[in-house]
Amino acid sequence: MSSYGAALAAPPRGSNKVGFSFGMAILGLALLVAIIGPTLVPHDPLTQELAARNAPPDAAHWFGHDHLGRDVLARLVAGTRISLAVALGATLLAMLLGAGLGLAAEALGRWPSFLVFGVFDMVRALPSILLALTLMVALGIGIIPLIVALGVAYAPHMALVARAAWRRESATGYVAAARVMGAAPLATLWRHVLPNIAGALVTQAAIIMPRAITTESVLSFFGLGVSPETPSWGRMISGASRFAESAPHAVLAPVLALCVVTLGFALVGDRLRLALDPLRERGR
Amino acid sequence: MSIALQAGLGFLRQAMLLAGIAIAVFLLIRIVPGDVVDSMALEGSLDDEAIAALRAELGLDAGTLTQFRIWVSRALVGDFGNSLRFDRPASELILAALPTTLGLAALALAAGLALGIVMAAAAALWPGSALPSLVEILNLWSIALPTFCVGLAAILVFSVWLGWLPVIGQWLSPVLILAVDIAGQVAKPLHEDLKEAATASHIRTARAKGLSPARIVLRHLLPNALTTVVALGGLILAGLIGGALTMEVLFGLPGLGTLAYQAISGRDYPVIQAVVLVFAVGVVMVNWATDAIQRSLDPRLRR
Repeated sequence: MSSYGAALAAPPRGSNKVGFSFGMAILGLALLVAIIGPTLVPHDPLTQELAARNAPPDAAHWFGHDHLGRDVLARLVAGTRISLAVALGATLLAMLLGAGLGLAAEALGRWPSFLVFGVFDMVRALPSILLALTLMVALGIGIIPLIVALGVAYAPHMALVARAAWRRESATGYVAAARVMGAAPLATLWRHVLPNIAGALVTQAAIIMPRAITTESVLSFFGLGVSPETPSWGRMISGASRFAESAPHAVLAPVLALCVVTLGFALVGDRLRLALDPLRERGR
Repeated sequence: MSIALQAGLGFLRQAMLLAGIAIAVFLLIRIVPGDVVDSMALEGSLDDEAIAALRAELGLDAGTLTQFRIWVSRALVGDFGNSLRFDRPASELILAALPTTLGLAALALAAGLALGIVMAAAAALWPGSALPSLVEILNLWSIALPTFCVGLAAILVFSVWLGWLPVIGQWLSPVLILAVDIAGQVAKPLHEDLKEAATASHIRTARAKGLSPARIVLRHLLPNALTTVVALGGLILAGLIGGALTMEVLFGLPGLGTLAYQAISGRDYPVIQAVVLVFAVGVVMVNWATDAIQRSLDPRLRR
C-alpha cells in the first residue's frame, strides 16, 4: 500500500488535488451517514403520519414528509445505508466474478480464457440496465437479488481490465522467471501478479461503484429494485415523483443525494485513475 | 490479413455471440417462477380450466426444449410470436417503437458529437482561453452526473417549477441531456489528442509555411484525431442505448426502452426476448462496425 500512498501524495500531471479532497470529503460523509446516521435521526423511516402527507420541511422534520407522511430525512439516511451497501456488494461481486474468473481463465490457458471471455462478451453485449432488469425479473426483487444482478452486469467490465493488466504483466520478466522456476500458473497469478494489478482493479471498482448506485436507483424507480417499503433512493424517487408538483422536496432530496455521491466518486476515481492505473502511465 | 477477411472473421464471432445471447435470454426468462398466465390469474378470476386452456393456446404447456425449437425456427424468419399482453405480433410492437429510439439516439449522437468536436477543436485553437477548463467541466459533468439524475432534475425544474416544458412526451430535454453527456465523453480525450498531435513534425511544417491555426486544426489535426472519436464510439453508443432506455421511460416516449420496461413488468415473454435480442443485435453490430471503421481509418491497426 505504501507505493500507492506515495503515488497519491505526488500528484500526477493534470490531476486536481482540490477535487480529490472534495470527493473524499463527500464519500467520507456519505459513509458516516450510512453507518451512524440512522441512530441520529429521531424519526422512523417507515412510520406514516397520514395527517402530514406531502408536508413541507419544518423545524422538527428538516426535509419534510413524503406522499405517505413518512419523514424524508429518516428515509434519505436509511437509503444511504442501503444504496451504499448494495453498490459495495455489487462491486465486490463484480470484482470476484470478473477479475477472479477472468484471471483464473487467462492463467489456465487459451481455451478456458476463450470460453470465459465468450460468456463475458455475451453479457457485455446488453446495456447493463437492460441486463439487470432482465436478471431482476428472474431473481425477484430484494436486496440480495439486486446485488447479484448488478454484480453480474458489471463483472465483464472488471474482467476486461483484469485481462489487459494480466497480459501486460505476463510480458514482464518476473512472470517469465516464476514460470521458469516451475511455479504453477495460479500460484504465480496469486502471489506475483495480483499485487501488481491491484491498482487497476481498485480504479475500476471506483468507476463501477457510482454506476451501481445509479443503476440501483433506476431499477428501484422502475419498480424492480428493492421491495416497495424499503427506503432506497430509487424507491423514494419513484414514490414521490408522482407528487412532484405538490411536494417537490420529497423528490429533490434523493435526487440531490444521488448526484452528490456520484460526483464524489467521479472526483476520487479521476485521481485514482491517474495515480494507480499503470495502464495509462506506460501506455503513452 | 486483409481488411475484408478480418471483418468477416469479426462478423462470424459476433454472430456466435448473438446465438449465445438468444439461448441465454430464452433460458433466463424460463427460470422465472410464474408466467404471464399466473399473473393474469392473479389479476382476474380465471378458473383452473381456463388457465389450462390459455396455457395451451399460448404454447406454454410444451417442454422448454420444444418451446425453444419452435421459437428459433420462427425467429429466423422474423416471427417473434405474439405479445401475450397486447395480442399483436412482437415484431410489430418493435417496429412501431424502433423509430422513437433510433430518432432519439441519432439526434443525441449528432448533437453530442458536434458539440464535443467543436469544443475540443476550439479549446485546442485557443489554449489560453477558458475553453480548456470548459472541456474539463463538461467531462466531469458527464462522468459525475448520471443522465437519470439530470433527467429527474430537468423534469423538476423545467416542467414542475417553471412549467416551460410538458412533463412527458417532449423530446427537447432527453435529446439535450444525452447530447451533453456524449459531448463530455468525447471532448476531453479528443482535446488531449489534439494537444499531443500539435507537437508532431508535420504540424510544425504546416506552421512554418504560414498556415493559419484554424486551417491547421481543421485540415491536419482533426482528421487524424477522428480515430479517437471512432474508438470511443462503441463505448459511447453502448452508454447511449442504456441512457436512451432510461430517458424514454422517464419522459414517456414510446420507444424500445418503454416497450422493454412494459414487457418486463408484465412478464410478456415473446416481447422481452425480441426486445433484448434487438438491443443485443444493435450493440454487437455497433461494436463490429466501429472495429471495422477503426481499421480502415488507422492502417497501424491492420496487423
